[in-house]
This record gives sequence, C-alpha cells and structure tokens, in this order.
Amino acid sequence: MAQTEKFVLNMGPQHPSTHGVLQVQVELDGENIVGAKPVMGYLHRGIEKLMESRTYQQCVPFTDRLDYVSAMNNNLGFCMAVEKLAGIEVPERAWYIRTICCELNRIASHHVFIGSLTNDLGSATGMIYAFRDREKILDLFNIICGARMTCHYIRIGGVAADAQDEFFQKTEEFINYVPEMLDEYNRLFTGNEIFQRRMQGTSIISREDALRFGMSGPNIRASGLSYDIRKLDKYGIYGKLDFEVPIGENGDNWDRYLIRIREIEESARIIRQCLDNMPGGAFKGKVPKVLKPPKGDAYQRVENTRGELGFYIVSDGTAKPYRVHIRRPSFINLQALDHMCRGMVLADSVTAFATIDPLMGEVDC
Amino acid sequence: MWGKGLVAGLRVTWRHFFGKKETVYYPEEKLPMTERFRGGHLVLDVEKCKACTLCAINCPNEALKLRVEVDEDKKRHIAAYVHDIGRCMYCDLCLEGCNFGALKWDKNYEGASYFKEDFIYDAVEEAKNRRNEDE
Repeated sequence: MAQTEKFVLNMGPQHPSTHGVLQVQVELDGENIVGAKPVMGYLHRGIEKLMESRTYQQCVPFTDRLDYVSAMNNNLGFCMAVEKLAGIEVPERAWYIRTICCELNRIASHHVFIGSLTNDLGSATGMIYAFRDREKILDLFNIICGARMTCHYIRIGGVAADAQDEFFQKTEEFINYVPEMLDEYNRLFTGNEIFQRRMQGTSIISREDALRFGMSGPNIRASGLSYDIRKLDKYGIYGKLDFEVPIGENGDNWDRYLIRIREIEESARIIRQCLDNMPGGAFKGKVPKVLKPPKGDAYQRVENTRGELGFYIVSDGTAKPYRVHIRRPSFINLQALDHMCRGMVLADSVTAFATIDPLMGEVDC
Repeated sequence: MWGKGLVAGLRVTWRHFFGKKETVYYPEEKLPMTERFRGGHLVLDVEKCKACTLCAINCPNEALKLRVEVDEDKKRHIAAYVHDIGRCMYCDLCLEGCNFGALKWDKNYEGASYFKEDFIYDAVEEAKNRRNEDE
C-alpha cells in the first residue's frame, strides 16, 4: 500500500511573511501542519551584554533596537528600572509626555500589525493603508525628538526635551482623525468576508494554554484573560486615567485582530485625557551626569505593545550596570507558534505568525 | 449577504483612487526636515569648540575619534574630528553632552553610498571647506 511521508519545509529566514529573520521548520503531512519549530538567533546582537560595557545613559539608545516599531515603550521600561534602582523622581509633566508618546507608539505598532497581517493574507492594499496612517505618528515623533523609529526620547529622569505646541496640536489632529481611520479599516478589512473566513476559528489558543505558554499582551487578552500591566501595576500616571482593557472570547486569529483595533481606540482615549490635563513644570528630574546607582537590583515591567516587557538590572555601585536581563514578550509569545499551527494548513501558519505579532529584534535581542 | 463586505471595501479603494495624493514625487519634491531632526553629518563650529572631548566620551559606540592639540599658551584646539557614520546610532548624546553648543546636525537624510570610506569624514575639514566656500 502506498504511504505518504512527512516533509520538513524551511520557512525563512528569508521569507516575506516571517517579518524579519525567523526560520520556521514546518513539518507537513500533505498540506496539513504536524509541527512548526521556530529557529531563532539570526538577529542576535548581544544587547544585554553590550549594555554591561556602557553607562546607564548610554544604554537607553540600545533599547530602541529591541522592539524597533515600539521604541518609546522600550525606553520607558529601561528608564523606569534605572529610576527605581537609583531612586530618581520624575516630574509629572514628563509622565504625561511619556504616556502620550508610548500610546502613540502603541497605535503605530498596531498599524504595523494590521499592515503586515493584511499583507500576509494576500492584500497588499491593506499594508499601504496602515502604513499611511503610521506615517502620521512617525511624523509626530520626528517633531518631538528628531527621529522616526529609534526615538531615544524617554530618558532617565524624564524626557530628552520639552514637547512643543506644534506636537500637541498635531497630536490632537491625529486623535480627531482616529475614528475616521478606524471606520475605514472596518470597511476595508473587518467587514471583508475573505478576511473573516481566514481568521475566524483558526489557531485557537485557550485561556489555559495562553497561561501555560506565559503569553502576555494582546495575545493573552484575546484568549479572555484581563492581563494588562497598565491596569495591574498602575505605573506612571495610568492609575489616574480612564481606559478599558479589551478582552476577546475565543482566542482565535480574529480575536487577536479585533483586540488590536479596539486597543487603538483606547490608546486614543488615553492620549486625549493626557492632552486635556497636561500640567506645566519641568520635563526632566534631577539626574547626576555620572549616574552611580547604589548596589542592588531592580526589576521593572511595563506593558509594551506586544506584552509584558521587563528589565532586570543589577548594579554594583559603578556607572555601568553589572548585569541587564530583558524579559521580551515577543520571544515568549512565539513559543505558542507550534501549538497554533498544529492541525492547520500551511497557509494558516502565516496568519498564525502574523497574529502573534513577534518582532525579531526583540525575539533575538 | 456574502460579498457585501467586499463591495464596501472596494468602495473605499475607489474613493482613494480619485482622491488626493498622499505621497510626494521624490526626489523632485522633498519633505522638509524638522527642527530636531537627527541625521547626516555633524556640523562642527570650530570657534566654539573647546576640545573638551565630552562628545566622544558620551558616545556609546565610539563613533567619534578626536585629535586635540595644545598650543604654547596651553590652550586646547581641535585638530581632527573624525565621525564614523557606520558606527553612529544618531542617539544625539554627543550634541547633548556639548556645553558650548558647538555641534549640530546638517539634516541631510540622503546618506546612502556604495563605498565604506564615504561614511568616515572629518568635521574639522568640512568646517574649513565651508569657510573657504563662504570666502
């Protein structure tokens, strides 16, 4: 009797749908996936090690290169960890500006998610629409800090420079544009039947599995668990702000997409509140030029776009950190890929990969 | 009805097909860079520079190689200010470290080149060339 053999297909590291340099060894039985093994390390730059030979201030631009589509949130995580370690006070105005920047960056990052997801599903049009709107946010970053992606704007003790009136005005214009933008996305993607058929009921992650894999961010929220560090820890000024945490029901690809659309709305709400209540005062606290935190260690977690981003820093009392470890959400979320792909057809692996939304800069670090 | 969503989506794309253009016709048309834009070559003001080398000390990637000369009055002068763009992260820490406002970016974003040598330049030489051009 004729027998079929399993076949291993290498997807990546040069593959348009792997969003960077990830290799996935897909084990196939016909067109059905029996296993998907991610092979990482193609973008490893040793950032944790590089930080050990730099001063605390010099470490901050390296965090831009972790999750490079959400650089502000990375800056924030590292700076907060150092502030915790050295006991630095951050002025309130700086917190408001930081929050605006982080939430803008969250929207920009979700634009990349929508763009790459639609592109992976075969609609290059979607990518152009999402990137058109992301450009508006990158222009805002260009105004406030002079860079579009690798911002290096949030610094230890505050922010690099005060936000200008032009920035606030243009941010408000963007926030006013958000409902129109989402309406267009809903007409273009959410209502699209092909889009729905491809995503509904595929690559389901149950609540228990999501916890078992240690997932975080929109991926775990799509599985029905309300886990948002902004709400849990209420770091910065998030405790004062009124916003909701969108939660999914089924944990399928569709929920992971919808969560992000709803998160854009919530981020816009947060920015609006920050703009309305912007206090005056200094934009940076008192930070010594040569920063030598006392001996000890600190762990600080923040809600990055992709999940729980944590920085663990050990200080030996010198101007350079003794050890830095980064808990990268993309790396941990990617563990679920094999589970998501099993039983699906090959074309669905691309969708599963896109909805985890990993970023290779962060996976490999 | 199946296909209703597809038609709604097509309506969006058709509206944009006849709508306003979102892009500019580069390189004929160029977007202006912002006041705080970080990019291009470093413009060194040799008169303002006190050769304290704080910029090079602040650099996380050792992208700046400076040569300082001391004259007979024990005054420091900058003799060479070599900036290696290949190592530069454009983090702005050099500009922020300067207490005399001697540095700024030339805001040129068209920095691509075929040759590695093009990414290493001397800002003191460029300052001299600018002065010669002005004269």
